[in-house]
Amino acid sequence: MTRVAAVGDIHMGPDSQGTLRPAFETLPACADILLLAGDLTRHGTPEEARVVAREIKDLGVPVVAVLGNHDHHDDCPDEVTAILRDAGAHVLEGEATVVSHRGLRIGVAGTKGFGGGFVGRCAGEFGEPVMKEFVRYSRRRADGLRAALEELRRRDCDARIALTHFAPVPDTLAGEPPEIYPFLGSYLLAEAIDTTGADLAVHGHAHAGTEHGMTGGGVRVRNVAQPVIGRAFHVYSLGTP
Amino acid sequence: MNLEYRVAHVAEHLAAGPCGELGVRAEIRGETVLLTGTVPSAGCREAVRRAVHDELAGVPVHCDIVVAETAPPDHPEVLE
Repeated sequence: MTRVAAVGDIHMGPDSQGTLRPAFETLPACADILLLAGDLTRHGTPEEARVVAREIKDLGVPVVAVLGNHDHHDDCPDEVTAILRDAGAHVLEGEATVVSHRGLRIGVAGTKGFGGGFVGRCAGEFGEPVMKEFVRYSRRRADGLRAALEELRRRDCDARIALTHFAPVPDTLAGEPPEIYPFLGSYLLAEAIDTTGADLAVHGHAHAGTEHGMTGGGVRVRNVAQPVIGRAFHVYSLGTP
Repeated sequence: MNLEYRVAHVAEHLAAGPCGELGVRAEIRGETVLLTGTVPSAGCREAVRRAVHDELAGVPVHCDIVVAETAPPDHPEVLE
C-alpha cells in the first residue's frame, strides 16, 4: 500500500512560519510521500518561499511539489523553485520523478497546468493573439504532463500520480461559481491523464470546491486545497494493504 | 458609486493587497456585504476585514471568513 499525503494552497507568508511544521512532522508515521499542489506562497516572493522551505525541510518523507499561480505573481518562479529544491523538494513542471520510500517506488508527474475550461464550455485557440496564447499556454502545460506520465509508464513504479495546481475535471470545482470554471482548470489536463494513465490525480486552486472527483477515464481526482480538506494535509492509501 | 462596483473594486484591491487574497468572496446581501472564504492566518483575516471596512465605509459588513485548519488528519482515505 502506498500512502500519499497531499495539500495545496497553503499560501505561506512571514506570519505562517511554524503553523504547518508540527503536523508535517507526523508524516513519517502516516505517509510515504508529501505532495504540494501549488500556491505555496501568497505572492511568489523569495522571502515567502524561504518560509515554505523551512516548513518542509528534513521531514523524513520525500516532498514533491508543483507551483501555482500565486507562486508566479512576483515573476521569479525559477528562484522560488530553487529555494524549494535547496530544501530537498522535487519541484516539477512538465517533469517526472520517481522517489523511493519504505521500498516503494512512487512516480509523480507534475505541472502547474492552467485554465481554459471543460468540454463544451471552454476557450478556443481563435481570434486575438492574447486569446490564442492563453489556450496554447494551457496546451503546453498539458503536453508536459502527458510526456511526464509517459515517462513514468516506462519506469517501474508502485504508484503513478498526476500532480497539478489547476483542476483537470469540473467535479472537484463544485461549490465554486460556474462562471469562473474556465479560470480554474482545463479538460486538457484530464485528457493527458486518461491518455497515459495514472493511479491518482491531485490538484488544488479551487478553495471553494469539493475534494472528490473522477476523470472521464476513471482516474480518481482529489482537490487538496487546504480550505477544502480542512486539515494540514490528507492521506490517500493506494493499492491493497 | 453603486455598491456593486464598490464591491468589485474591493475584490481587486484584496488581490493586490498584502495577503494577495483571491480566496475571499464579497457578496451583496440586501444593503449589507457578506465576506466568506478561508485565509491562511488570523493576521490575514484581520487585514482583509479591516481593508473591506475601510473601503466600504458606511456599509455594514459581515465577516464570516475562517482561518485554515492546520491539524493533521486522523485517518487516511483508502482508494481500492
